[in-house]
Amino acid sequence: MTKNIQQLPLHHESHPQPELTFQQGFFQVSFQSMASDCELLIDLPEDRVGMVKHLADIAIREVWRIEQKYSRYLQENTFSRIHQHSGHWQEIDEETYRLLEFADQGWQISDGLFDLTSGVLRKVWSFNGGDQLPEATAVKALLADIGWSKLDYRTVGNKAELLLPEGMELDFGGIGKEYAVDRALGLMLAEAQADGTPLSVLVNLGGDMACSGLRQNGESWKVAIERPDSEQSSLALLSLSGGGLATSGDSRRFLLKDGVRYSHVLNPKTGWPIQDAPRSITVAAPSCVQSGLIATLALLQGDKAEDFLRATGLRYWLVPA
Amino acid sequence: MAVTKHKKIAQNDRALKAMLASAGCALLAGLPTQSRAAELDNWDFDTAALIYAEGDSRVSAFEPVVNATRNFDSETKLNLKLAFDTLTGASPNGATPSDQAQTFARPSGKGSYTTSAGDQPLDDTFRDSRGAFSATWSAPLGRDWAYSAGGYLSSEHDYQSLGANGTLSRYLNQKNTTLTFGLNLSADSLNPEGGLPVGLSRAPVPGSSTFSTDLSNSRDGSSDNKQIVDVVLGVTQVIDRKTLMQFNYSLSSSSGYLNDPYKIVSVIDDNAGANYGGNFVKDGSNLYLYEKRPDSRLKHALFWQGKRQLDNGDIVDLSYRFMFDDWGVNSHTVDLKYRWDLGKHYIEPQLRLYTQSAADFYQRYVTSSDYQALDEVSADYRLGDLDTYTLGFRYGYRLSQDSELYTRVSFYQQASSGDSGFGKLKDQELYPDTTATMVTVGYRF
Repeated sequence: MTKNIQQLPLHHESHPQPELTFQQGFFQVSFQSMASDCELLIDLPEDRVGMVKHLADIAIREVWRIEQKYSRYLQENTFSRIHQHSGHWQEIDEETYRLLEFADQGWQISDGLFDLTSGVLRKVWSFNGGDQLPEATAVKALLADIGWSKLDYRTVGNKAELLLPEGMELDFGGIGKEYAVDRALGLMLAEAQADGTPLSVLVNLGGDMACSGLRQNGESWKVAIERPDSEQSSLALLSLSGGGLATSGDSRRFLLKDGVRYSHVLNPKTGWPIQDAPRSITVAAPSCVQSGLIATLALLQGDKAEDFLRATGLRYWLVPA
Repeated sequence: MAVTKHKKIAQNDRALKAMLASAGCALLAGLPTQSRAAELDNWDFDTAALIYAEGDSRVSAFEPVVNATRNFDSETKLNLKLAFDTLTGASPNGATPSDQAQTFARPSGKGSYTTSAGDQPLDDTFRDSRGAFSATWSAPLGRDWAYSAGGYLSSEHDYQSLGANGTLSRYLNQKNTTLTFGLNLSADSLNPEGGLPVGLSRAPVPGSSTFSTDLSNSRDGSSDNKQIVDVVLGVTQVIDRKTLMQFNYSLSSSSGYLNDPYKIVSVIDDNAGANYGGNFVKDGSNLYLYEKRPDSRLKHALFWQGKRQLDNGDIVDLSYRFMFDDWGVNSHTVDLKYRWDLGKHYIEPQLRLYTQSAADFYQRYVTSSDYQALDEVSADYRLGDLDTYTLGFRYGYRLSQDSELYTRVSFYQQASSGDSGFGKLKDQELYPDTTATMVTVGYRF
C-alpha cells in the first residue's frame, strides 16, 4: 500500500502543518502540540476524506487552542494574564474555573499531594540524570509560594473569580494535555453525531490518549506507546477498546546521588521527591483526564501506589522504583 | 478486629472509587460520552421466510421478509423492511353450502367454478402476489424527546396501499416513563378484477338468462379508494429493572370503499314448500348478492402489555387488547409468551386467544323475504362471531453475541358460530372450522 501523505491546510506559527494519510483501513493525522508528537486515528472509509479533514480540523484547532491558552511559554494568553493579576480577585472564564474545580477534586482526594501550585519547585529541581541536589534552604524558601489552600476561587453571579496570591504559580501542564485529549475526542464525536456519521476515533497526544470505542470492524485500536518501563527508547503495543489512557512519571527523569535515586515526583508539602515512587504508572480510565489524575495520584502515594491503584479497580501498568 | 479494619478499607475504597468516577465529569460537561456507540453494530438484519398452510390445503402462502436496521448511534436508526408474499389456494366466497351444486362466475366475469352439493363454496382462483416496502427513521430530539417518521408502500395486482406515519415521544422520570403520540395515514386504492361490484347488486350466475344484464348492472367503474387515519396514545413505564409495562389507546378511522369485492351473500328461500331453506331462485337461477358494508368505520382499541424478566433469565410477556367499533364488533385478545432461556438456546411457547362478536350487519345468509329491504350485509366470516386459538413455539439458537437462527411453528384454529339456518339449510355446515399451520425460519445478524 502506498502511503499517500496530504498536508492539511492548518497553519500554526510554531508547529508544522498536520499531515494526513490513509493506511491499515483508517486515517491517521499527525501533528505537533504541547511539545509532543500527536495523532488522530479516524476510522472512516477512504471516500470520507472530506469529513476526516473536517474532523481533524476541529480536533487540532481545539488542541492548539488549549495549548495556546494555558502554555507557560507563551505571552498574552490566559496563563500569563492570570499571573499578571495575582494578588487581586480577577475574573476568570468558565473553562479555567472548571479546570480549577477539577484540580481541587484531585487535591482533596490526595490529601493535599496533588497540587497545581507546586510547579515552582522546578526552579530548584532539574531531573537530568545527574547528581545535583538543591540546597535544602532553597527548597524551603519556595514552600512559601506553594499550597492549594492559599489560593481562593469563587463564583459571583454568572462570573467566576480567582484570587492567586502574589508569587504563586498555577501549572496547568499536569492536566492540560489530558484535558485536550478528551476535548478533541468529544468535539469530533459531537460533530459526527450531528452529521449522523458513526465514528470510531482515537486521539493520542504524546502517549496520553482516549478513543471512542472499538473500531468500526469491531477490533480494538492498536497503539504504540513509548515503553514506560525502559530507559531506552522502545515501543510497546497497546490495544485500546474505549475510554482514556494516560501515563504519569518518566523513567528517564531522576537524580542519582550517593546511590539514592531521587524521582522527579515531588511532594508539595516538603518540596522533596516522594520516596519509593514507581518510575511510571499508566492507567486506563473512562476518560483521559481521569486516567491522568489517577496515574498522578498513584505516583504521589510512593510505595503505596499499587495499593491505591488496586483500590480504584481500574487497569494499570506500573514500572516499579 | 480484622473484620472491622477490612470493612473500613472497603468503605474507603468505595468512597475513593466514587470520587474518582466523578472527578473530571464536570470538566468535560457537555461533550458526548466517549464510550457511546462503542459496541453498536452498524447494521442489524433479520431475514425470515414464513410458510402458511391452511387445513384442507385451502390457502397457502409463502412470505420472505428482509428487515434491516441501520444504527447511527444508540438512538438514531433507519429501519427498512421488504416483504413479498405469494398466496395460492381457495378462499370462501361467502355463499352458504347447499344441497345442490352451485356454479359461480369468476370475479373477472369470465369463466366459472362449481361447488358440489354440501361443500363450502370456495373461490379457487385466489392467487395473489404482494410486495411491501417500509422505511422508518427514528432519532432523539434533544434529551427528553424522540421522534420517528416513516412511510410504506405495498402493491398487489388489485390493491395498492401508500402510507405515512410518525410518532413523537416524551421521556419523563429519567426515561422511566415514555409518553408516545403516533399518527398513521394511509391511502389505499382497489381495482378488483372484473371491475368494482355494486353493493347488494345481484351477482351474475354463469349460464343464466340474466348473466350479461347482471354483470353490467353489478359493476360500477373499475376502481375506488379508502383512507385510514390512526391515532395512538401510549404510555410505557419501567416498573423496575426487570419489568416493563405499556398501555395504549388507539383510534382508527377508515372511510371509502370498505367492501370486499370478492364476497357475496346467499339469498335463502323462506317460502313454505319444497325449497324451504334452499337457494332462492330468481329468473331461473340462484340469487346471490354482492356484500355491502358501511362506508366508514371507527375503531377504538385499548392495549396493555407487561413484560418481566424473571430471576433465572426467563421472560414472561403478557398482553391484552380490547377493540370495539361502530360496526358492533367487539374483540378481546390475550397473548402469553414465555421465553425459556437455556444459554445459547431458548424456547418460547406462545398461547393466543381471540374472541370476536359479529358486526351488526353480518348475516351468514339473507332470506328471500327480507333481502330487498337490506341496507348493508356481509357474510364474511371475519366479521362474524369468531374464536381463534393459536399455539406457537419459537426456538432460537444464538450463534454469537448478535446473530441468531430461529424457527417458529404455530398452529391456528378458528371456530365460527351463529344462526344455524332453517329448512334444508339446517343440514349444511355453515360455520366450518379452519385450521392452519405457520412455519417461520429466520436468521438475525
